[in-house]
Amino acid sequence: MSALLRMEFAKLGRLTSVRFSVVVLAVFPALWAYAPGIFDVYGFFLVSGFQVPALSLLSSMEFLLPLLIAITCAELLGLEIVHGTLPTVLLRPVTRSQWLLAKVIVASVYPFLALAFFLLASLAAGAFYGYGPFVGGTGLGREGLLGAGLMEPGLAITEVVRAYFMAALALVPIGLLAILFSVLFMNAAGGALATLAMLIFMQLLIVFPGIEPYLLTTQLSAYVQPAASLGWVVALIAVYCAAFAAVSVVIFERKDF
Amino acid sequence: MPAPAIETTSLTKRYGGRPVVQDLTFSVEPGQVYALVGPNGAGKTTVIRLVAGLAFPTSGTVRMLGSDPHEHPAIRRKLGAVVEAPAAFYPYLSGRANLRLHGRLAGGVPEERISEVLVQMELGQAAERKVGIYSLGMRQRLGVAAALLTRPEVLILDEPASGMDPLSLHLVHGVLRDAARAGTAVLLSTHHLDEVVAYCSHVGILEEGVLIDQVDLGERRARYRATVSDVHEARLALQVQPWVREVSVRGRDVVFTLEGEAAIERVAATIVGAGVSLSSLGSDVFDLRSYYRERVESQRGRGQRVDVDDEGARLGRDGVGATRVVERRPAPAVTEEEPRS
Repeated sequence: MSALLRMEFAKLGRLTSVRFSVVVLAVFPALWAYAPGIFDVYGFFLVSGFQVPALSLLSSMEFLLPLLIAITCAELLGLEIVHGTLPTVLLRPVTRSQWLLAKVIVASVYPFLALAFFLLASLAAGAFYGYGPFVGGTGLGREGLLGAGLMEPGLAITEVVRAYFMAALALVPIGLLAILFSVLFMNAAGGALATLAMLIFMQLLIVFPGIEPYLLTTQLSAYVQPAASLGWVVALIAVYCAAFAAVSVVIFERKDF
Repeated sequence: MPAPAIETTSLTKRYGGRPVVQDLTFSVEPGQVYALVGPNGAGKTTVIRLVAGLAFPTSGTVRMLGSDPHEHPAIRRKLGAVVEAPAAFYPYLSGRANLRLHGRLAGGVPEERISEVLVQMELGQAAERKVGIYSLGMRQRLGVAAALLTRPEVLILDEPASGMDPLSLHLVHGVLRDAARAGTAVLLSTHHLDEVVAYCSHVGILEEGVLIDQVDLGERRARYRATVSDVHEARLALQVQPWVREVSVRGRDVVFTLEGEAAIERVAATIVGAGVSLSSLGSDVFDLRSYYRERVESQRGRGQRVDVDDEGARLGRDGVGATRVVERRPAPAVTEEEPRS
């Protein structure tokens, strides 16, 4: 399994979508950090480099990040189909479930890698504003961007890292959903687009208040929720992940190649 | 008695209710090279994928070295296979890196073995180049190299000749023949009947998912034909001999298989001793191309022409034997004995 995992992580770096994401995630925070219309839209001026990660995350978590994660995770399997390497690998003495689980593990780790890079890019983009104590908030804590009073750098970085961690966690089931759809459709584009369609569908379901707390899309904003409510969120995400991974494996085990 | 290297029993595969492979039963023993031939869409690739464990049978069983490859994936340590044409590799990796990856998946293969198979398939010079720039034939050769990597007991190849130039083809034929001599069971699918004649020991003819015929080419090489004045008397005389097998009548000819090399010398004496005139005696030339055409047409019902590859093979150019009735008569056999009056 460790050889499989090493192989799969090595393949991750070769994916076109990963390279594309690196460019997007590097450029995006810089655009926000120096956007001339920030005050007109949000009614505030950036005063600290610790506020740029919040702007990056707030503006990308609803659509851009889920899309990038879905494309990459769908490509994890889809590229094997494009290259025709899927049957070749399955002819070796590894079980189908082992092979797919290696993909699932990579897809589960990838959002954390992507968000770590996004955080670094956001912090780098905010270098102009400095990282010293500032008046206001990081935008990722309870007090938003304005109401936290004097914010020490230690507290600011803690809030930012926690929020990015939770955001990455919320993106994991989206990656696994993309894997599931790739297994179903046996191509990367189908996997990514079906995931996107499913997310849009879930967003429309907010008109049913009874199920809204359980929706996958609802968890995408968990990174701004108070720590006390995160236990429930983490449990729900774990259920989604386990379900998507299990269904993927069951389908994959019975697929003809 | 050891289990066959490959064994299928009543193997059936349906897609959406449509049968693609029907009730297929055959086996490949160690050292045999079994070729599946058939028109496009006959089900050859499906059979290859079923046997390799990539597809699941609707009914029936597949056994590889006595085990179900789905239930016992570890048996694939003894399998080498190329199931894509051209053979599929990661294009951004070199030939050597791709083989290393295969080796890792197979549980570890020494670097020396990787170099050995690359040289064997004449890819030593191209080993460090990315597979993305390999030609079709080079990819196919790399596929065979990957299949040979673990010194498998079973080799399964789908269209190994696809995209290969004559020299590469000759190389692959030699490698597969050597593998079979070393005891490896080889199952391949092909459109090229000349490939079958070149190095296969058995051929199975598939049409619309049905195995309509199996021919033991080794046995056909031991088959002879005698043109006689009375086929029934000649048949009676021959079939009681212990060194004669499978005597049949074909027009004015008696066709039979001999046990042992020296037996041919006794045939003429036996026939003449029975009071029958012998016009000619020789190897029964087996025209695989005609045989294949006739069998497929017969399966489809007369009136449909089957296109056979122009290179269509002719088994027995060098005097090896064969059987059966074909409308188009094979080339005359080599006469070993002049007719007696």
